[in-house]
Amino acid sequence: MSSRKRIIIVAKKEIIEFVRDWRTIVALVLIPLLLFPLLFIAFPIVMQNEAAELDKKTVDILIQSDDIEVTLIDLLQNQTARITLEPLSDNITVLSDPNNNTEQLRALEYDAILRMELRNDTWYYAILHLSTSEQSNEARSRILEVLIDWEKDITSQRIESAGLDVESTLNPLQWDGSISNADVATKGEQAGMLLSLFIPFVLAIWTASAAVQPAIDMTVGERERGTLESLLSLPLSRTELLLGKWLAVVSITAVGVTLQIGGLLFGIAYLASDFIDVPSLSIGAVLLLAIAVGFYGTMIVALYLALAMRSKSVKEAGSVLTPITLAMIMPILLTQFINLDDVELFWFGVPFVNVLLGLRELLLNRIILEHVIIWVVVSTLICLATVRYAAKQFHREDIITTKS
Amino acid sequence: MGPLLRLVDVKKSFGDVQAIEHVNIDIHKNSVIGLVGGNGAGKTTLLRLMSGVYRPTEGTIHLDNDRPVSELRSVLGVVPESTGLYSKLTAWENIRYHSRLHGIDDQLAWNRTYRFAQLLDIEQSLHRYTEGFSRGMKQKTALLRALAHGPQILLLDEPTGGLDVTSARTVRQLVRKLKDEGGTVIYSTHHLAEAQQVCDRIIIVHNGLIQADGTPEELLALTDTETLEDAYVKLTFETARPRMEEIDKPSKISSLWRRLFTPTTNMEVSEDE
Repeated sequence: MSSRKRIIIVAKKEIIEFVRDWRTIVALVLIPLLLFPLLFIAFPIVMQNEAAELDKKTVDILIQSDDIEVTLIDLLQNQTARITLEPLSDNITVLSDPNNNTEQLRALEYDAILRMELRNDTWYYAILHLSTSEQSNEARSRILEVLIDWEKDITSQRIESAGLDVESTLNPLQWDGSISNADVATKGEQAGMLLSLFIPFVLAIWTASAAVQPAIDMTVGERERGTLESLLSLPLSRTELLLGKWLAVVSITAVGVTLQIGGLLFGIAYLASDFIDVPSLSIGAVLLLAIAVGFYGTMIVALYLALAMRSKSVKEAGSVLTPITLAMIMPILLTQFINLDDVELFWFGVPFVNVLLGLRELLLNRIILEHVIIWVVVSTLICLATVRYAAKQFHREDIITTKS
Repeated sequence: MGPLLRLVDVKKSFGDVQAIEHVNIDIHKNSVIGLVGGNGAGKTTLLRLMSGVYRPTEGTIHLDNDRPVSELRSVLGVVPESTGLYSKLTAWENIRYHSRLHGIDDQLAWNRTYRFAQLLDIEQSLHRYTEGFSRGMKQKTALLRALAHGPQILLLDEPTGGLDVTSARTVRQLVRKLKDEGGTVIYSTHHLAEAQQVCDRIIIVHNGLIQADGTPEELLALTDTETLEDAYVKLTFETARPRMEEIDKPSKISSLWRRLFTPTTNMEVSEDE
């Protein structure tokens, strides 16, 4: 029997055993598949509901002024506000200084306080509010909205009375046409730009986190359950055993990642098409994307299998792999800050960062041969090193003895 | 005819600890050999060396006619002490997994499995998940798994350990039947009575050394005793050492760390009691 066949038998058994747990299906299939579509549906609904709820609320506004105009009060009342009027205290020298009104705002007696004073021909004002209260923020924004409109009216009146044209005086510099039309990047490319900051993050985090549990279960878990010894007495080399398990973990992780990306693209295409397009990529870029993800997965899974096999117990493996998974966020974050237009070559030689940078470039549909060659060569070497390290762990004689 | 399996001056050490020293054993076809010894004697290490799970530090292990060691695993059927069944697979799936890795056709493996399952009275449970199996059921399934590819030598590590009387008897009957059909079984146990009942030849292992090797009658004659128990006690007068796995030391960092969180106890014996 060929070595390839033995590897497939091991991988197949591992996958069957893994998917027989319904929790695995939820964690590896349903959650990745539904995560983004649900986010695309739930987010707008929640945000719209919250906004509508706030709009309906009547806010309490206290106006402190000796000379406020009736038109302004009317405009504020139209904003579903309960208005209380009182004269401006003589103690107040600077309008933004809360003075004795602090407690009224903290006790939510009023949502906001508008102070206004006419000095010569200029109106001075301040809005006191409590920034930690949503209702207070809402009251402040309603006041600002009214004030901006009211200011426009006053400005227009003053310009007209001076015999000038309002429009050309207020807007002497104007954009002509549509802003989006002036961008020569296609919508697909713009989507690629946006997603190049997002997809590598999702891929890296999901690959790293999805591989943890199967890697532990298939190595130190198997040792703890006592199933490894009988396996090692079969006509199967330890490298074949490692490759079979590696193939199983990679397949399980790949399914999760593919479903998550599929869910994301479905969400973009059908649920968020008003905001973002599906990125337009060439076949070459898609193929290289798959290779980059493959490299990343190979490195992560081989490293996890090796570290899990080194561990003395499932608990110890968990304590080792969890911080490593969190540490994977570092290269991901680093990648987000690197300017791709002026990227130094050495970045493509840094393990993990190089693949993620490669992913970002490819999502922008940029295939820069020099970069691709460097990250492919470096990643191949790293993959070989991690697989070799994993193989070394699988060849240890003490792997069958549970030392927990 | 030469031996089916030959161990020549085999030595196995784990770091500084000598687990097995200067072991020479010839296993001939159509026999049941009992490896008898206390806990930590080296029986499991010896079986793991025979099954190829461990590599000897010194010496050689080879099959008849000097066939390569790589062939060793294909002619062996192994039942480790832990049975090693996958709980989310059915009994048959567990068996099929191993027989496939032995390169055996599923139908052939099924035929053999079903025949032995009838002898062990578990043919009705072959399609059940092993998760809820009793110790006896697990042991029987592990036996079927080891037999499905038609091994020339069967290695059993304490096959009746933890079994009820009926299950242990069934396992022993199967071993005898295999012998009657021309098979070879190496059987580790620390029960002398069981070894006497099942084995043609008994190898007494103690502190990693072979203390005696022969038929029950030869052992009695060698030690000039009336019973095998007396013979065993006479041959193994030294104190048994702990198991190899227990000797495994934690790393220096682990030891230091543990010491930090281990309070020192200065308890004195009170005379008030």
